[in-house]
Amino acid sequence: MIDKLKLVSHVDAINWNKIEDEKDVEVWNRLVNNFWLPEKIPLSNDVQSWATLTPVEQQLTMRVFTGLTLLDTIQGTVGAVSLIPDAITPHEEAVYTNIAFMESVHAKSYSSIFSTLCSTKEIDEAFRWSTENVNLQKKAAIVMDYYQGDDPLKRKVASTLLESFLFYSGFYLPMYWSSRAKLTNTADLIRLIIRDEAVHGYYIGYKYQKGLETASQERRDEMKDYTFNLVYELYENEVQYTQDLYDEVGLTEDVKKFLHYNANKALMNLGYEAMFPKSVTDVNPAILSALSPNADENHDFFSGSGSSYVIGKAVNTEDADWDF
Amino acid sequence: MKTMTHPAAGLAMDYHSLNAMLNLYGPNGEIQFEKDREAAREFFLQHVNQNTVFFHTLRERLDYLVEKEYYEQAVLDQYSFDFITSLNQLAYSKKFRFQTFLGAFKYYTSYTLKTFDGKRYLERFEDRVVMTALGLAQGDEQLAISLVEEIIAGRFQPATPTFLNSGKAQRGELVSCFLLRIEDNMESISRGINSSLQLSKRGGGVALLLSNIRESGAPIKQIENQSSGIIPVMKLLEDSFSYANQLGARQGAGAVYLHAHHPDIMRFLDTKRENADEKVRIKTLSLGVVVPDITFELAKKDEDMYLFSPYDVERVYGVPFADISVSEKYHEMVDDPRIKKSKMKARDFFQTLAEIQFESGYPYIMFEDTVNAANPIKGRINMSNLCSEILQVNTPTTYNEDLSYDKIGKDISCNLGSMNIALSMDSPDFGKTVETAIRGLNAVSEQSHISSVRSIEDGNDKSHAIGLGQMNLHGYLARERVYYGSEEGIDFTNIYFYTVLFHALRASNKLAVERGHAFDGFEDSTYASGAFFDKYTDQVWAPATTRVVELFEASSVSIPTQADWAELRASVMAHGIYNQNLQAVPPTGSISYINNSTSSIHPIASKIEIRKEGKLGRVYYPAPFLTNDNLDFYQDAYEIGAEKIIDTYAAATQHVDQGLSLTLFFKDTATTRDINKAQIYAWRKGIKTIYYIRLRQLALEGTEVDGCVSCML
Repeated sequence: MIDKLKLVSHVDAINWNKIEDEKDVEVWNRLVNNFWLPEKIPLSNDVQSWATLTPVEQQLTMRVFTGLTLLDTIQGTVGAVSLIPDAITPHEEAVYTNIAFMESVHAKSYSSIFSTLCSTKEIDEAFRWSTENVNLQKKAAIVMDYYQGDDPLKRKVASTLLESFLFYSGFYLPMYWSSRAKLTNTADLIRLIIRDEAVHGYYIGYKYQKGLETASQERRDEMKDYTFNLVYELYENEVQYTQDLYDEVGLTEDVKKFLHYNANKALMNLGYEAMFPKSVTDVNPAILSALSPNADENHDFFSGSGSSYVIGKAVNTEDADWDF
Repeated sequence: MKTMTHPAAGLAMDYHSLNAMLNLYGPNGEIQFEKDREAAREFFLQHVNQNTVFFHTLRERLDYLVEKEYYEQAVLDQYSFDFITSLNQLAYSKKFRFQTFLGAFKYYTSYTLKTFDGKRYLERFEDRVVMTALGLAQGDEQLAISLVEEIIAGRFQPATPTFLNSGKAQRGELVSCFLLRIEDNMESISRGINSSLQLSKRGGGVALLLSNIRESGAPIKQIENQSSGIIPVMKLLEDSFSYANQLGARQGAGAVYLHAHHPDIMRFLDTKRENADEKVRIKTLSLGVVVPDITFELAKKDEDMYLFSPYDVERVYGVPFADISVSEKYHEMVDDPRIKKSKMKARDFFQTLAEIQFESGYPYIMFEDTVNAANPIKGRINMSNLCSEILQVNTPTTYNEDLSYDKIGKDISCNLGSMNIALSMDSPDFGKTVETAIRGLNAVSEQSHISSVRSIEDGNDKSHAIGLGQMNLHGYLARERVYYGSEEGIDFTNIYFYTVLFHALRASNKLAVERGHAFDGFEDSTYASGAFFDKYTDQVWAPATTRVVELFEASSVSIPTQADWAELRASVMAHGIYNQNLQAVPPTGSISYINNSTSSIHPIASKIEIRKEGKLGRVYYPAPFLTNDNLDFYQDAYEIGAEKIIDTYAAATQHVDQGLSLTLFFKDTATTRDINKAQIYAWRKGIKTIYYIRLRQLALEGTEVDGCVSCML
């Protein structure tokens, strides 16, 4: 665990009227508009659908979600927070606090899914599995390690890879279910999480590239080597983890393609070229189409609340508007 | 049937993946329509054909289905077997094919008859059409033939409850929609909840009027601060609807309407807030707000709006709050010290309305005074339904102490069906298409007896109200290379609806002649006085643009003249019409997919629509008639914007006796002010109701998925 709490040593009152990087405002606004809580999703509409899954499929689903819970917990309590001391602008700090909070919302969301669909005993067993699975624990350990290291850029790399790559072996499953008309409300909730993670990964990656701009060529080369090595290390482990989860239902090959696709996406967020060739990133179209973080589903209001609503901008009407 | 097998590399792709490729551009940047057709084909090859029960002959099939209690014997007994055989041949001779994967998938998932274990199919599309026609025609062979012809050709499509249930032995009701009043007493509230359970069990959405219920803090038995208002009632209703569903086929769904000047209005709206407390949060119940003209007037002057205690209003006026016109009595009530009131800024009310719509899509809005001014029937309209297109008068029911009925009032039911505008314009006999549709809808009303809710049963027996809808307007306009919302587009909408009204009234007039009587209360309507027809006999209605003249000339549809109207008026005044209400334009979700239409008279939501439903999952639907060569005419609703949609609806509204579900679409760059401006514009243009607000938020630049059709604009 963290030996010594690192805090920002000096704080000035944050002035949102003096913006150094427009991206901070853009992302802040997007995150605020996208605020949501799991309570708005009628998860209980999935209870019948849950009962149609085989015991193996149910177990898989729960394990996937406990794995995601662990990652979101890390990102909420350590990851996003560890980025704050390295922030270049005060607004960047504010964005990280928002990210940290939403990660905690995500972590709690999985608990909402569990408590709606499963019994306490099943939940406990799934959590036990998550603490005992070697590959999941290793994935957590690798990332935690870099968060505690003293290199700010490396922390950003680890964080981006977590947001843009490591989550997706888990996200695959609810997207798969929803394309098969199963657990569609759970999928709504996961899509809200993906909507958030897409922005988080993009933003942290962007800040990494900003940080790299002022670095020497030598340092850049070092960081690139480091990044690709880390991707490779995580990828190896992720393949093992994917096999642990998906072998039993025969989806492993398909999930791996999805891993390749997202590893490339994560590298792109960090400003690097793709690692995996197109021939191994041909993700199942049903999953790829569902992945789009656009909020543009034309959902049926009677069976779910959808994933497209946002907090609106309130603007007063003026006299001219009422001229009739 | 649904296992987690995933085809290995080299095998044919599964149909879900093929369908999803619609949403991914092909190698040359083109939309891959052929992948969707392949998906539909693979769906039949891989799934439907392998899971359909085979019968050697029609006789064997019908005997089996009746014996095993899948089909209702009484329906078949109305016809000779020879006739059923010929009707079956007629249906199959039309070589019906689903145009899209979603059409086929939706039909087989939600409509077709399945074995009781849900594993195998017992009907093809043609069989369902034949059973629907046999069920509706009640032994009238000619009508059965007409119905098969209209439905299989796609010109008329009955609403989901009718098409889903007709002829089945184990089924829900054929009616789409129910509207119930609740009065300000415990008997009426508990009856409302009971009725909701009963009606949900049988199918159809239920809307309830909350405006009459006393506000929180109102006295009970003269003791102040006793009532807890409408929120707990909403909670009870929400749970009731979740519990009851129609044999699992349709989720129970309900809506509640509240008057804008009810003291609980802000609490009502706050139930849909993103951060609402669990105790008050409403997740699945739909909300509607009834807004009178006076609220707009007050907002215009930036004044306060007073909210009135329904408890006191009922004591002062002797009638429930919803049965008085707030616009008319507003100043009188403000000055009446016997009525307890609170106030808020009228503009704050509208802004809150828009904020909640941003967060949740709700509430619907009904413009109370517009609706009542356009109502040809005697009485007052104080609410709408789950889809905001039903607008009919009602009267209260009163109860005895033992909960039995004292006086049975009139509540509302409505069965719906929609015409496909494009295919109806191609109809060899447009008048017959409309008449067949009206007769099909009327049959549902005559066959429906909801005895568990007496006020509904009585209302239906007296009024035989129906709602003929329309869909595929955008599809038609695009096919004819006319832009939605253009001058020609609006001109067409006006003349089309004008023509439909004429034929609908004529059909109902024929029914009145055949049945020997009109609906109950006809003599008090503006149909009976003839006043309804003034706007059609006093002026010429004709296309204003040459393009629309051409469109009608190229079709078999003749536009009614003033002389035609004068003749119809004479016949209506002499014999009446059989149906108290005739038209209502529903949003048409499901049926427009199986009918290959664009929804209702809306613009498309997207060229390739991403449809998400509990029973379907996430599926992709190409707009009807869309090709890689006519993309221009398929601007989506978000691009077209609120104003053109409202103009189009306004053109239709003037010829529709009930309402039209009007959804407004905004990009996420819109503000509450933009929504308010659209509401003001809609109200000024004579729109009766507004349904959902839909928002589209695009991915932040840099986070989108590459090559995705629905992401590119």
